[in-house]
Amino acid sequence: MSAEPVAGTMKLFFREAIARALREEMQADARVILLGQDVGAFGGSYKEFARLQAQFGPARVRDTPVAEAAMVGLGVGAAAAGLRPLVSITYMDFLMLGLDPLVNYAAKARFKTGGQITVPLVVKTTAGARGQGVAHSQCLEAWMMGVPGLAVVAPSTPADAYGLLKAALRHDGPVLYVDHKRLFPTAGEVPLAETVLPLGRAATRRQGRDVTVVSHSFMTRVALEAAERLATEAISCEVIDLRSLAPLDLDTVASSAARTGALLTLEEGQLTCGIGAEIAFQVREQAGPIRTARVGAAPAPVSSNPVLEHAALPDAERVAAAVRRLLDAPPAERP
Amino acid sequence: MARPLRGPGLDSAAGQPTQLLRRMMVIRAFEAALAARPDHGFQLFSAGQEAVAVGLCAALETGDQLLTSGRSIAPALARGLDPGRVMAEILGRVAGPARGKGGRGHLAWPSEGFFGAHAVVGGNLSIAAGVALAFQIEGRRDVVACLFGDGACGAGALHETLNIAALWKLPLVLVCDNNQLSVSTPRSQALAPARLSDLAAPFGIPGATVDGMDVAAVRDAAARFVARARVGDGPALLECVSERFSSHSTATRETRPKDQMAAILARCPIARLAGELQRAGELGSADIAALEGDVAREVALAVAFANASPLPDPAEALTDVG
Repeated sequence: MSAEPVAGTMKLFFREAIARALREEMQADARVILLGQDVGAFGGSYKEFARLQAQFGPARVRDTPVAEAAMVGLGVGAAAAGLRPLVSITYMDFLMLGLDPLVNYAAKARFKTGGQITVPLVVKTTAGARGQGVAHSQCLEAWMMGVPGLAVVAPSTPADAYGLLKAALRHDGPVLYVDHKRLFPTAGEVPLAETVLPLGRAATRRQGRDVTVVSHSFMTRVALEAAERLATEAISCEVIDLRSLAPLDLDTVASSAARTGALLTLEEGQLTCGIGAEIAFQVREQAGPIRTARVGAAPAPVSSNPVLEHAALPDAERVAAAVRRLLDAPPAERP
Repeated sequence: MARPLRGPGLDSAAGQPTQLLRRMMVIRAFEAALAARPDHGFQLFSAGQEAVAVGLCAALETGDQLLTSGRSIAPALARGLDPGRVMAEILGRVAGPARGKGGRGHLAWPSEGFFGAHAVVGGNLSIAAGVALAFQIEGRRDVVACLFGDGACGAGALHETLNIAALWKLPLVLVCDNNQLSVSTPRSQALAPARLSDLAAPFGIPGATVDGMDVAAVRDAAARFVARARVGDGPALLECVSERFSSHSTATRETRPKDQMAAILARCPIARLAGELQRAGELGSADIAALEGDVAREVALAVAFANASPLPDPAEALTDVG
């Protein structure tokens, strides 16, 4: 990325992109409210809600007790009654406390009422490991991809965080928006003009010929780093950032994989019933036999111990090694 | 008579004793008609608990919203929903308010003040608080009532909801229809508090326990709490101790012995109010018979309406998702 400012954009950190999206949507629509722990004067655990309470008042930006189940339920009920709440769940590990209202009510309300009730709710949470241990590190996106009626997005750049959060706040159904702890210290160019990024569109971050690497969130950066290394070995990687996990932009992934002939999926979560397993299967259903490989977390909890944390998670070297193995493997055969 | 049959400050006809009696009779007859059908599917009946639903709904106004547990037939009819549309929904017919997609456990008709049932025990509590939060933020004077069973009282959902509703003074009336059983587990073996309304005190909100077989007692207690909530004084917890006349559901066997059941059935809230009205000279036996005929006709019409409506096209399995 160039050090020069890009015309028509401004450099923002993730937290600034999130705050901007919320500020614009709250200005435009009085139905948008924010609920969560420490979202008020404190401004959020990553300062991603900084100054929103001062601007919009404590009725619309509300600190809640530590009660994830009720927090999500309140958001769901308020959305069902016509507001457009964003509920902040600090870490994705705690989201499981609030899954009942999200999965059993929000994702089913429109269906079960024959369209009488919709739930325009955003649950925003932060996944990923960064030294905080077994119950503050998990990436559980794959669990949520299989819930009909629930959209799931996970940006890897501040521009996408901004555009996807705005789209999520305008969506008429429930959306799970997932940040990543290691992305908060990063910055990127964000359009100056108001931009809404539609759900369900992947982005090709790097074009290549030999292999398609598909990922999302922080692991997209790991994929790009691996692609840089492999380029020095004359291996050309195409890197796709899913951005949206549900709905899934399968066409972009499948057409790339059909062209390169090899697909590597990369995720920070577990491989068993993971995003990679799902994508690889769907790609083969659509595009036929293609060599595939998966990279993800080791089948173990993620420790706060830095040695053990690193041992459990993918990094650029492991991804590069997996690509080399994949390309050395014989071509896939029709079953 | 220990207390007046007519409620204080309730000017709507729906709150008056004959109407309360009629509503309870419609519910009982509706469920009997449903139970007699071979195609009734999985149902949780309200027989014995009609007074809780009818008493509560007599205290609600048009703009208020009611959310309930999956034991939803009595509260839906008590709220005044058209019995034909409700029967259609329960039987999976497209003339139901949710086109037959919700069924008994998820009956919903928000435009009629019935925000809906939700068949997860305790699952509607925080949802109801969210609806109340929306009303509060929008500056409406409407109140949200949430009806749930004693089975929900051991769940964190109730305690989290009580805390937030009290803290934010939400216009929410929580009504526990305590039928004293969670499927087969007696309330005494599941819940520590002496009275379930004692759960209100730690959160600094009013609580009361009334006889849930006494429709006027339920109506009056609910009206008091609804009035508080409407003027911004915040939530309250009302416990109505009731009796379940049948097993937990159509898929569950009865576990109570016959002699105990006989004593329970003798506490019928409908017979109780009818007897009180007769003794007070407000109704004669001819009036009761006329009422019974009227109710039977209404239920027969509801069944005929539902029967005339088709089941959905299988393509509807994929519509309104998300």
